[in-house]
Amino acid sequence: MTSTSNPSANKVATKGTTWAARIADLRKAREINVLLALLVVGALISLASPYFFTTNNLMGVARAFSLTAIMSIGMVMVIITGGIDLSVGSVMGLSALVTALCFAAGLPTAAAIIAGLSVGLVFGAVNGVLVTMVGLPPFIATLGTLSIGRGLMYIVTHGVPVTPETPEVFSFLGQGYVGFVPVPVVIMIVLTIVFSVIMKKTRFGRHVYATGGNEAAARLSGVKTNRIKLAVYTLSGLISSLAGIISFSRYLSAEPASGFGAELDVIAAAAIGGASLAGGVGSVAGAVIGAALTGVIANGVVLMNINTYAQQAITGAVILIAVSIDVIRSRRSGS
Amino acid sequence: MRAFKFTLKALAMTTVMFIAGSAAAKDIVIAVVPKVAVPFFDDCNTGAAKAAEQLGVQYQWVVPQNTQGSTQVKIVEDLISKHVDGIAISVNEPKSVEGVIKQPMDAGIKVLTFDSDSANSGRSLYIGTINAAAGTTMGESMAKAVGGKGKVAIVTGQLGASNLNERIDGIKKALAAYPDIELVAVEGTEDDLAKAVSVTEALLRANPDLAGIFGVSQVGGPAVAKVLATKEFGDRKGVVKVFAFDDLPDTIKGVKEGFISGIMVQRPVTMGKLAVEQLVGQINGTITETKDIDTGVTVVNSENLGNYTK
Repeated sequence: MTSTSNPSANKVATKGTTWAARIADLRKAREINVLLALLVVGALISLASPYFFTTNNLMGVARAFSLTAIMSIGMVMVIITGGIDLSVGSVMGLSALVTALCFAAGLPTAAAIIAGLSVGLVFGAVNGVLVTMVGLPPFIATLGTLSIGRGLMYIVTHGVPVTPETPEVFSFLGQGYVGFVPVPVVIMIVLTIVFSVIMKKTRFGRHVYATGGNEAAARLSGVKTNRIKLAVYTLSGLISSLAGIISFSRYLSAEPASGFGAELDVIAAAAIGGASLAGGVGSVAGAVIGAALTGVIANGVVLMNINTYAQQAITGAVILIAVSIDVIRSRRSGS
Repeated sequence: MRAFKFTLKALAMTTVMFIAGSAAAKDIVIAVVPKVAVPFFDDCNTGAAKAAEQLGVQYQWVVPQNTQGSTQVKIVEDLISKHVDGIAISVNEPKSVEGVIKQPMDAGIKVLTFDSDSANSGRSLYIGTINAAAGTTMGESMAKAVGGKGKVAIVTGQLGASNLNERIDGIKKALAAYPDIELVAVEGTEDDLAKAVSVTEALLRANPDLAGIFGVSQVGGPAVAKVLATKEFGDRKGVVKVFAFDDLPDTIKGVKEGFISGIMVQRPVTMGKLAVEQLVGQINGTITETKDIDTGVTVVNSENLGNYTK
């Protein structure tokens, strides 16, 4: 009995690892493809404009897309579990506002930052509870918290930006540099590395992929899928509030419209970077590169002096072309 | 018999309503619809609310959640079904509200536009800055500041906003008299501060010899001032002449600190006040002839920063 079942179990296990390995390879290939697309687009822009490939411009562009990129790290984890988080823009804006209000009330920097982060923690946890315990579809749950967050901003601000005096040390977060690299870019890089390692090397990361790949199977093999989901929504909220605090530190003005519509850019970054909205597939690095691609295009159309009315259409076309090439290439290398 | 009784009852009720009707001003409901929640419209709200209080009419301030044309259409439809007596609206997209403004006008509800117009909608009148004229003032101020030559660029808000496009037309008209001034770019920002900052940075990099920037929507001034305050662009402070629209706190600060040469300040409080007064006048029948009202702009610079009226 044992002698007959053991080899077959081994066989299944080997088959499983090769499949996993193949999927992992594919994923790797996709990241590299999107990175290639980014480099090609960058090269084309620098042929057309001498101002693109300068340290100042590249760092400026990186700083501009860093907030989208940071939020896409949380988003891609949610998407990998098969969910979606529409509330990221609202959470970002509300966290910026709460941080600003704390400074306006004369609280010290540490307290203001903690208050801002707790907005994301609460909204993220609420999203997680709505999805797991109440059983709402993620789209509905986070659409609700999107509206609540934005609504709270309008209630509090009446549409007027909050612009308190802030200590010098706080502006470092959004306006400072480490060498020639803007601090938000440094934060983006650190978070990308940390979460790439978490997603690839830890049990938590494997469980996130398992939850989205086949939730029933994951649950049967002992993965606490609800706990994983609660964790990724909370992380996404927390990361979005960090983006909000950085944004406030950069502009020192908490605008009521700050982060409005950002969810679309963030989801797009994750999807361009290879995440599948069906769950189970995606990577942190891919999402960040996806954000970089859209950021570089947005900068390029201004540098190349493309007619402002044509910019959006051209941005869309470039993204479609770049991702199509990526998808076709990975299909070939996959088969 | 039954029908007769009913008619009598109806007649009695109509008479009561008729007597009460014109006397009780409190029954008049005026709704004011801004484009979106931004400080400029808070000033309109202040002026409108005060006028409503003075005239003793009910007042509603209905703020759209986004700048899409369809959102305002929905709001006006809701107001019609609520039977308000007058609507003042600052239009996000002139064409999309044309149909929905004709409806209440036919039903006897008075409609006017303020700040941003929909000229073909059949509204009774437009109250606000005649934007082309304000743009011309802005263009001439810039021409003077740059000494009649050099490259200039425009940073605008929503690309579809007609008031912004009229300002841009006004600027172009003024600049046409200066052949040595070249307009190198017009950039949209969706009225988002973060986008406006990125666009301004890219503009300054792409045009190292830029002489001036027009901020034609209210995010322009604060965005350009923030960019010129950074280390990278610090040496272009004062070199790049900046003219902005609307006196937000950050824009005023920009003038004080020397980043912005001048602000075109509209008169939103006056707009709100006139909007309510005009609607109530039309409803009561005291105003029968309507004509567009230009509330004008004041050019605010470091000299008159302390004392100007809205």
